[in-house]
Amino acid sequence: MILDIYKDALEYSAKDWKTLVILGVICLFSFLFLPAFLITGFNYRVINTAVHGIINGRDPLPGFDDPIDMFIDGVKVVIVQVIYLLVPMIIFLVFALIAGHISGIASGVLIFIGCLITLVVGVAACLMSQMGICHMAYNDGAFSKAFALSEIKEVIDEIGWFECILTYIGLIIIVFVISVVVTTLIGIIFALFGVSGAFLGVDPSGILLLGTFINSTIAMFIVGPYLSIFASRSMGLLYTMQI
Amino acid sequence: MASITDCVVEGLKYPFKDINKLLIFGVLFAVISALSTFIGAKSLDIFRAAVHINEMNNGTLSQIPFSQLPTGDIYLVVGLTIVAFIVSLLIMGYQYDIIKFSINKKEDLPGFGDIWAMFVNGIKYFIVILAYNIIPMLVLVVGTAFTGESSVLPIIIFISMLLFIIAYFLLLMALNNMIAHDSLKKAFDFREIIDNISNLGRGKYVGIILFTLIVMMIISVAVGFILSFITVLFAAIINNQAFVISIVIAIIEGLFIDSYMGLFFNRVCGSIYRESIK
Repeated sequence: MILDIYKDALEYSAKDWKTLVILGVICLFSFLFLPAFLITGFNYRVINTAVHGIINGRDPLPGFDDPIDMFIDGVKVVIVQVIYLLVPMIIFLVFALIAGHISGIASGVLIFIGCLITLVVGVAACLMSQMGICHMAYNDGAFSKAFALSEIKEVIDEIGWFECILTYIGLIIIVFVISVVVTTLIGIIFALFGVSGAFLGVDPSGILLLGTFINSTIAMFIVGPYLSIFASRSMGLLYTMQI
Repeated sequence: MASITDCVVEGLKYPFKDINKLLIFGVLFAVISALSTFIGAKSLDIFRAAVHINEMNNGTLSQIPFSQLPTGDIYLVVGLTIVAFIVSLLIMGYQYDIIKFSINKKEDLPGFGDIWAMFVNGIKYFIVILAYNIIPMLVLVVGTAFTGESSVLPIIIFISMLLFIIAYFLLLMALNNMIAHDSLKKAFDFREIIDNISNLGRGKYVGIILFTLIVMMIISVAVGFILSFITVLFAAIINNQAFVISIVIAIIEGLFIDSYMGLFFNRVCGSIYRESIK
């Protein structure tokens, strides 16, 4: 089941390279603050198609029409994530405050327990926020559905907590591995160019600089958007896995 | 409507329906911005002059005779403030029209034909805002005056802030209620106002307004970035003209941003009322 999700998501994200480039351009301008929400809005659209579609179906990639709608969706997603992540942060702060007022070994023990609880709650909050966004998308973007905790819990129960967390961790590993592998590959290629150039008596610094430039360009325009679509699609498909 | 946030989407698209009217509305804001920048600069001049005279005479500020101050400047500032107030009344009158169009579900933007009606509506709008803010204001002023610098002061400030927030949420619905029935009395019909709010759901009402405010905040931060780039650009071209630059930026902001925000926010407010009386 998990592998099917990954396979579908990997294929889905590679469907249209134009979308990836457009996303990359938006990403380039996200220092203006507004486009960052467009990217999350686009990811929300991906989730939206995924939760309404079926796995290994022929869902098309969402388009970039109606940017205002996309922007508002992005704002919604960010708000949901921020509110969910506030919970573990507040728990950690409470523990840290209490631990700051007592001394000795008790404070160390307390902060350790606090960290453990924060970790558990944090993982749960990440999962719940992703599932909350999927649940919101499934219910036509009704904001209150993102915080309908009992409904979301039911959804996760039906999928199975273990599968959910496994998918989530697997997702993180895949994203990490892909980005590292791509960067290293390009790095090695240009290092080879540079070294062979140096043997031929050319100054290698220019080639290395070009390598770094191409590396960051590819990371921004192809790999980054690809991975973000991949992650959103996987979460959306995971939501549809309930029996 | 599937979700109440669709109101926000609709509100964001609304100003683009008639760019000309958006710009005319923007001219009003631009006038206000330019005037307030100018007034600020002039009052700084007056203040500086007063301090200068004070230093020469070694007296207190209240002992300076009026004739010694730059009287021309003072009259100018007072006159400009009155002009700015009248323009802001016009802006409020236009906002009244926006909410009205939104409640009646008209798709186009209100026109500027009847200036006098706009002015009267603006006065109504202003009175309601004033009336709703007067209680927290009194709490703040009286509390500060009586308690002085004791430890009660933070509590007083907190209470008045809370009152301000509550008043703000009631105010929005009150304005809607007044405009929908076109009578000033309805703005203080608390039962109907609270009924409307609970009809929509209190959490939903507060949530949608907070959401709208967050969206506005994001847009203004983004615009702030862009405007600061423009400022740097201007500063590089025109040297040593900080005043000119700040007025130009204020006019740009008023012309495009403030008017857009005004249209957007009031449109959403009207839609919220429309949803609440369903």
